[in-house]
Amino acid sequence: MATPKVAPWPAIPISKPEEVYAGLSEQAKEYPLFLESIVRQEHNFEKPEALSRLRVLDCSTRMMIGHWCSSLLAELGAEVIQVEPLGGDPLRQNTPFGRRQYMFRDKETGEEVGGQFLHEMRNKLSITLNLETEEGREILKKLAVQSDVVIENAPPGQWDSWGIGYRQLSETNPRLIYCWVGQRGQWGPLKDKPGMLDPVAQAACGFVHGTGDPKEFGGQPTRSALWMADHVGGTSAAMGILAAVLHRENVSGQGQFIEATAAEAIIRILDYNWAWHSMDGSIRPRYGNWDLAINIYAVNPCKDGYMMVGGGHDRLWYRIWRTVGDEYPTVEEDILGDPHLREVADRLAHDMQVKTYTMLGEWLKDNPRSEAERKLSKQQVASGGVLYVNEVAEYPHFKYRGHVGEYDSPHYGKILYGTTPFLQQKTPGRLKWLGRPTGYDNGDVYRRLLGLNREDFTRLKQAKVI
Amino acid sequence: MAQETAGAAQAKQPTFEEFCHQTFDFKKAFGKPEALKGCRVLSCTQYILGPSCASYLAELGAEVIKIEAPRRGEAMRHTTPFNEPFLYPLSRWVPERGTGLGFLGANPNEYFISCDFHRPEGQAIVKKLAAKSDVVVENYRPGTFERWGIGYRQLSKINPRLVYCWLGGFGGWGPGRVRASYDILGQSQGGNFGMTGKPEFMGGAPSKHTIWLADYWGGMMGAVQILAALYWRDKVSGEGTFTEYSQVHGVTRQLEYALPLYGRHGIVRERWGNWDTQLCVHGIIKCGKSSYPQSENPQEQEEGYILVSAYDDKDFVRLCQTVGDGKTAEKYAKHDARVKPQSQIEIYDLLEKWAADKTKEQVAELLDKANINNQPVWNSKEVANHPHWQERGAVQWLDDQTFGDLMHQGPAYMMSATPPRLKWALKPVGADNEYILGKLAGLSSEELRRLEEQECI
Repeated sequence: MATPKVAPWPAIPISKPEEVYAGLSEQAKEYPLFLESIVRQEHNFEKPEALSRLRVLDCSTRMMIGHWCSSLLAELGAEVIQVEPLGGDPLRQNTPFGRRQYMFRDKETGEEVGGQFLHEMRNKLSITLNLETEEGREILKKLAVQSDVVIENAPPGQWDSWGIGYRQLSETNPRLIYCWVGQRGQWGPLKDKPGMLDPVAQAACGFVHGTGDPKEFGGQPTRSALWMADHVGGTSAAMGILAAVLHRENVSGQGQFIEATAAEAIIRILDYNWAWHSMDGSIRPRYGNWDLAINIYAVNPCKDGYMMVGGGHDRLWYRIWRTVGDEYPTVEEDILGDPHLREVADRLAHDMQVKTYTMLGEWLKDNPRSEAERKLSKQQVASGGVLYVNEVAEYPHFKYRGHVGEYDSPHYGKILYGTTPFLQQKTPGRLKWLGRPTGYDNGDVYRRLLGLNREDFTRLKQAKVI
Repeated sequence: MAQETAGAAQAKQPTFEEFCHQTFDFKKAFGKPEALKGCRVLSCTQYILGPSCASYLAELGAEVIKIEAPRRGEAMRHTTPFNEPFLYPLSRWVPERGTGLGFLGANPNEYFISCDFHRPEGQAIVKKLAAKSDVVVENYRPGTFERWGIGYRQLSKINPRLVYCWLGGFGGWGPGRVRASYDILGQSQGGNFGMTGKPEFMGGAPSKHTIWLADYWGGMMGAVQILAALYWRDKVSGEGTFTEYSQVHGVTRQLEYALPLYGRHGIVRERWGNWDTQLCVHGIIKCGKSSYPQSENPQEQEEGYILVSAYDDKDFVRLCQTVGDGKTAEKYAKHDARVKPQSQIEIYDLLEKWAADKTKEQVAELLDKANINNQPVWNSKEVANHPHWQERGAVQWLDDQTFGDLMHQGPAYMMSATPPRLKWALKPVGADNEYILGKLAGLSSEELRRLEEQECI
């Protein structure tokens, strides 16, 4: 396949500190420069890792929730061993619209991996293990004895019936923190309803119903483009795991059983849905890119895309209309003269939101995102355009801070990726490597943790155990 | 005899489901210890990102002290859908107003004190509290706390074990450091907003994730970082640290294959509506009929939607059999053929035609019979009243000590030994002034009264 012609990243060079802070007084630049000096990612490798003493076995497959959870732990320094079925996690095969040319190819073996799996295979070791075999499960038991955390997502009760569930593993390793992750839960009335992949959870928790435009505006329930519930659920699983680690180290000396689901993580953060329903039977409606509880706080079309403008309270409200009034004095007059828009609370009525955004739209339609942002920023109003991924990758502020990075992989070549947001002074998160071919670390992990030798490897491979 | 004993022991062994149910029963949480008992957190936060971060620690048993502006409290208390529902009173000083529901979910289990950060006496109180705390969570504009003399550099001198967590939009350094941010801006600029919703050729536009997702989820990311820092402090160094979480950075972190694809091929990931770019069939379809045609609520009059998931070849064949279309089963027997954009358009169109005379429940029943994965799109009423979520405590009735009966979300995850739990939803502004300031700052009732009169607390 011909190498596609793609501009190198970054297309525009990253700014230098002296450009960014040009014109500021010594006093004004002292604080941001101090922050830079303590959290800049360039210094990461001079510092220790927060979780370097923890070993995590991530045995989850086919679902992102477990991988996301272990990614966060791996970024913070845990030794994460990704345990994959023979041939690799089926997620490795995922690629948009089935286009194999978008996959990343191992330079040596030609093995392909999709970008989604690769992106979460950060800092992890890859081993293969066939848990369908008795011997594979014996090996897992031995690995679990030497681990702090096990993550799995098998159908409810499967590991228990295999003799490697929490009840059994906690006997041989009472310090083990065992975390089951899934979409809807391993117990309760829906436990046997199959469905492993997001957006199952998004649909089951009320998130999809609440996202998108209302029907009257031509909208329908909308899923997140991302496997968002898995990301949120995986993050909550990581919280639970770390809380269990702290309790084990500081208090009990014992591990415990954790269950985290993608649906319940979103239910937790669906703010007032449940209380509101309990008060008067309300069902939260979709409200598109506007907000039920704040006006102005929305994304609306502008000249070259979509523009976020936010400012709920009076101080920002008047600044927004002053900005608009510079070009459309009549709009400002109309808004400020409307008695129904005078009180913050009154502005929340639906009709008033329609009026607000119709008037704001008058101004936005002539302003591209960058212009609108420049004008509103002068008034310190929170605003910004909806950015697409090419714009995110080149956005000067993000580039300067390193939100996007390029990793030169010994296996796959250069990969553009989203860096860890865990910035820290003493034990920052970091990327050590991105992506491993299937079973790449079998030799290392099985020798180091189980003392297997060459003959063992040959036999286990022939028996299709590893 | 021996056999009988073994049999009895076996009978006693609960099934896995019984075991889970007993282990994770949220009603038994209060008989168990708390993971973060003894950990004290100062939450100098407003809106959602910072407050939710601290509240996750409060669910785990940390003593979280939320500090708000005197009298009216923080901005989120004045935010509620359509300006209708409120919880009264806002505070003892402003009894005629209430707290808006926007505040709910971001502040459970916390102690509420009021304190004016602008005033030297207020700053002195923060210093006293920080000296006795493990964590400070703060989301003011970068450098503001430093200017007030209560930033990381000042507080870490008083208490070197302090973990200081700043959360915000764009971070405290770099060309955009002065920009204000909200959740919706984090979503817009981080990149997940532009990818969500239908593509332009289907009449779609970028869509917001309805909840304040970059805030609530960003708070979780902050909590993960804090827990890791506490572990390092307790287990290794004995020292606190400074952490910075930018919500827009967090959103960019989760763009899946978008950045690798763009970097390698220059291709910009586009929206793909309710379908999946990588799997087919794995998408949400419209069912033609409403499940509640008699309801007066427009949320219920609307047609139903359901997620259909049959991306495995065998599942797809069964799906086509259920729909009664053998030709499509043959034409798209292989996943690579099904998942192409044009094929997806054709297949989902077929499914929607089949579902046009059915409710989402009827579609679910037919799919269940054929053993095809599905999930009806539930609205918040259906979720709130579903026995699965109620039994698991995902939504639970709370007998709140201030506000009475409220339905409230439970913690996001379960733990067997030290379960996170819900104690109270929130309290009025300054409700714990006497308790906390007496206990930790040693203020006498006379001093408290004076500070109160001066509106310093």
